[in-house]
Amino acid sequence: MQTEATLTGIAQRSEWEQRAARRDAQRLRKNALLTTLFGGMGLLTTLLVFALIAVIAYKGAPTLSWEFLTQPPREGMSAGGVWPMIRGSLLLMLGTFLLATPLGIFGGVCLAEYGERSRIMRFMHASVAALAGTPPIVYGLFGLAIFVLKFHFGVSLLAGWCTLTLFSLPVIVLTTETALKTAPAALIDGGLALGLSRWQTLWRIALPYALSGILTGVILSLGRAAGEATPVLFTASIYYSTAQLTLGWETLRQPVANLPYYLAEGYRQPGVVPDHLIWGACLTLIMLVLLLNAGAIFIRSRTRRRYL
Amino acid sequence: MIAAMTPTKAKTAIQTIDLSVSYNGKPALKAVNAEFYENTVTALIGPSGCGKSTLLRALNRMNDRIPDAQVQGKVLIDGKDIYDRRMNLTRLRREVGMVFQKPNPFPMSIFENVALGPRLHYGLKGRVLEEVVEDALRKAALWDEVKDDLKKNGLALSGGQQQRLCIARMLAVQPRILLMDEPCSALDPISTQKIEELIVELGKQYTVIVVTHNLQQAARISHYTGFLMYGEVVEWGETTQLFERPQKQETEDYIRGRFG
Repeated sequence: MQTEATLTGIAQRSEWEQRAARRDAQRLRKNALLTTLFGGMGLLTTLLVFALIAVIAYKGAPTLSWEFLTQPPREGMSAGGVWPMIRGSLLLMLGTFLLATPLGIFGGVCLAEYGERSRIMRFMHASVAALAGTPPIVYGLFGLAIFVLKFHFGVSLLAGWCTLTLFSLPVIVLTTETALKTAPAALIDGGLALGLSRWQTLWRIALPYALSGILTGVILSLGRAAGEATPVLFTASIYYSTAQLTLGWETLRQPVANLPYYLAEGYRQPGVVPDHLIWGACLTLIMLVLLLNAGAIFIRSRTRRRYL
Repeated sequence: MIAAMTPTKAKTAIQTIDLSVSYNGKPALKAVNAEFYENTVTALIGPSGCGKSTLLRALNRMNDRIPDAQVQGKVLIDGKDIYDRRMNLTRLRREVGMVFQKPNPFPMSIFENVALGPRLHYGLKGRVLEEVVEDALRKAALWDEVKDDLKKNGLALSGGQQQRLCIARMLAVQPRILLMDEPCSALDPISTQKIEELIVELGKQYTVIVVTHNLQQAARISHYTGFLMYGEVVEWGETTQLFERPQKQETEDYIRGRFG
């Protein structure tokens, strides 16, 4: 009896072992397949990005020089550099940064703190998420209708700031909200148990914890704003002006040249701006955005080391 | 029953009257009447889900954080019900400090961790603030280990040091009652021993209430022990008495390891 049972046990065991071996082989094949598939996809995406940058670098690098970056255009835009466009882009970004950062952080704090409890806030969250996906041209037209015409800002730096601020806000609000919500409940409990109010807990504990995430969001959204032509198309841009840009209040009411608009307009008028200048400006713009992103990565790596 | 075991000299620091807590209508704590005495360590023991943490968190109203928690009955400190609508939560939590199961130092320097409370509550700064921070770190038996790098991030400390930092942070606010929710359960034996010694020391100056899963720990550090099961107090009394001559069968079963 007992031998028989043992024998059955052995038979069953060896049958199970065989099944497991078959499954092991299957699993290995599947692993190899999926690794190849996903690795290939990843490689393809990376290659696409690199190809893009490589082409622009290849075409634009010969044009890139100290003179190109620091001199205004000459000879009816057919020679010279793109300094006024770089300066205009930097000016637009600076103002947008100063306006959008505080507004966006306040908005994000508001949504994170009241988001789940109140129906209005849930609705606001959905609206902001929708705004983040709104095409930039819509912002451009809105800016034209409201800031340029209704508020009589004219096509100006100021109208550009306002429009780009609106354009960057949703992303900043959403990243701030997300970053704050990732603050561990244990930290919030710790603050409350210490007798801090909800606001004190938020400002003193959750916000410092979330700061690196928030800054990353701010910088990334600025980089996006810097490269968009359409929000500033009707609100702030001028192709090129020989008027001296002076630092003063009147500057706010003047339109500014900027890189994306220069690219769009320069390409639309063939024969005026030679191709090599367009490629050079293209590369300059990409480098500006990459520089911003590199800054974001740097901040992230530094603060992560500090906090975790 | 409780009164019979109270040494006459001990003053009551905090008292619950018919305290019940339910989560989403499900009772977690049923009509608990308990007293905690000044300069005394009280341990709360019982199987998981017996309501000991709920009782602890009811004493500084941390249950307010849980949306569906409902509290009935009273918790009296100095004769005042902390569930009174006029109760100021900040004031309550200045009086009643809390340490959690998992150390939760804030993501800032050691000094800032301890200084935050007194700075925000009492507006302390400069030399006075530094003294308060040093005093709290000394009381938490951490000063000697961190005095040379107070600027270091609190999260860079070891788990046991982090927990003592959290204790220092709590002491810096100058509470009278200290709540500790399984303060050693995430720590190694050596850190645990340090925290236990610390609790015994703190018990001389504060009303300390410790929730613990570790029965030997309860026996080592507490003067009084409350044993809870299914949200009810089964037995409450002097620790030596409760462990050596338990009055109830359930208590005996639990502490002899026949239950839970």
